[in-house]
Amino acid sequence: MNRPNQPFTSGATELAALLVRVADGDAAAFQTFYDRTSAKLFGVILRILVERQESEDVLQEVYLSVWRKAATFDAAKASPITWAATIARNRAIDRLRARPPRAHVPVEAAFDLADDGPSADAGLIHDQDARRIAKALETLEPRHAAAIRACYYDGVTYDELAVREQVPVGTLKSWVRRGLIRLRLSLEGSQA
Amino acid sequence: MSLQPEPTGLDGLTELEALAMDHALGGGSRAERKAAELRLLSDPEFRAAVERWQAMLAPLDDVTPGVAPPPSVWAAIAAEVEPKQRRPQPAVSGGWWNSVGLWRGLAFAGPVLAAVAVAVLVQPGAVAPGVPATVAGGPALVATLADAAGKPLIAAAYDPASGQVRFAPVAASDQATGGKVPELWVIEGKNPPRSLGVIDIAAGRSQAIPRDRLAGLKAGAILAISIEPTGGSPTGAPTGPVIATGKLSAA
Repeated sequence: MNRPNQPFTSGATELAALLVRVADGDAAAFQTFYDRTSAKLFGVILRILVERQESEDVLQEVYLSVWRKAATFDAAKASPITWAATIARNRAIDRLRARPPRAHVPVEAAFDLADDGPSADAGLIHDQDARRIAKALETLEPRHAAAIRACYYDGVTYDELAVREQVPVGTLKSWVRRGLIRLRLSLEGSQA
Repeated sequence: MSLQPEPTGLDGLTELEALAMDHALGGGSRAERKAAELRLLSDPEFRAAVERWQAMLAPLDDVTPGVAPPPSVWAAIAAEVEPKQRRPQPAVSGGWWNSVGLWRGLAFAGPVLAAVAVAVLVQPGAVAPGVPATVAGGPALVATLADAAGKPLIAAAYDPASGQVRFAPVAASDQATGGKVPELWVIEGKNPPRSLGVIDIAAGRSQAIPRDRLAGLKAGAILAISIEPTGGSPTGAPTGPVIATGKLSAA
């Protein structure tokens, strides 16, 4: 892969071309777009919501959004898959937030963050950008990195994390923000 | 949810940047996320910041295993999707809707915003943080109101829980001065337009529209805004130019 910053350019171009047709009301293009992207989006949603039927409902909503909003896709700002995955994550998180409050988080969950090791997925990463961000995450304070992962992958709220980690929510937010800034610096550095 | 900017906890980090991070990462509460979604519609700087963080974080998805959804999902999507018309058209034909006068005088549209993305948007702040919202009366509804040429002007969102409608972003509303005000209408099926009252479409301002007028508002109904004399249409039907129309759909 000799284009580290845009490893999937040809695929992204193809998907972007499909979205242009979708914006024009082309149902066949929409189906192709769905076939190429739905497994990825379903994975993102399922990871956050876990519950299967609810995830299927959200996936359906997400693609209806894609159909309606295809014209707002801007290739200068994001790749098509990032654009669609962002819609999926946001929908899944919103659905999670709309659930009635769950039973109290068990005390054992306080150790969840420490257990969520950074390298579990490392061997599976093919994409250059994904490798870079995974590496950059490993350079963070472990609890900061774990908090970022828990929010991003599992849709956990700052409030829940603060309870689990037994710190004030302000502290938790500082961890995350500090971590993200560090992450950005590190990525900018590795890009140079 | 407090309207006061809270300390970001980090020196030199602006509130905008901190909230953009929070939204891109997704750790905020329901109320915080709704507030951010609303801000996304009306604050391009915030939107750009969120998009930057989203782009940075997106490669994290690479390790999330893909899972093929069952075929029933596509079947359900396909059932709701019809090929779109290439040119947006006024959704109601005949009568006042097509009269030349109504579509003339788009002066109010003025310096419009180029495009309006309709976000999933409901009234922020209506729900106290931590308190589960009971959304009575159906899903939140959104519409993009476009001018006669199909150019989107205004995004509208209706939250059944709070009974409020919000607009963002908006064409310069100062052009509605001089004894003229925008009035919001809803057209349900073949019924004549029903007034939802005179509105203030300054960005993000919420409109408390009497609940009885909003009762039964459903996806598929058409929202329209016309320019009327101060105090609203004297006849109970639109009299001035219609500046924007759009169909409500579930958020």
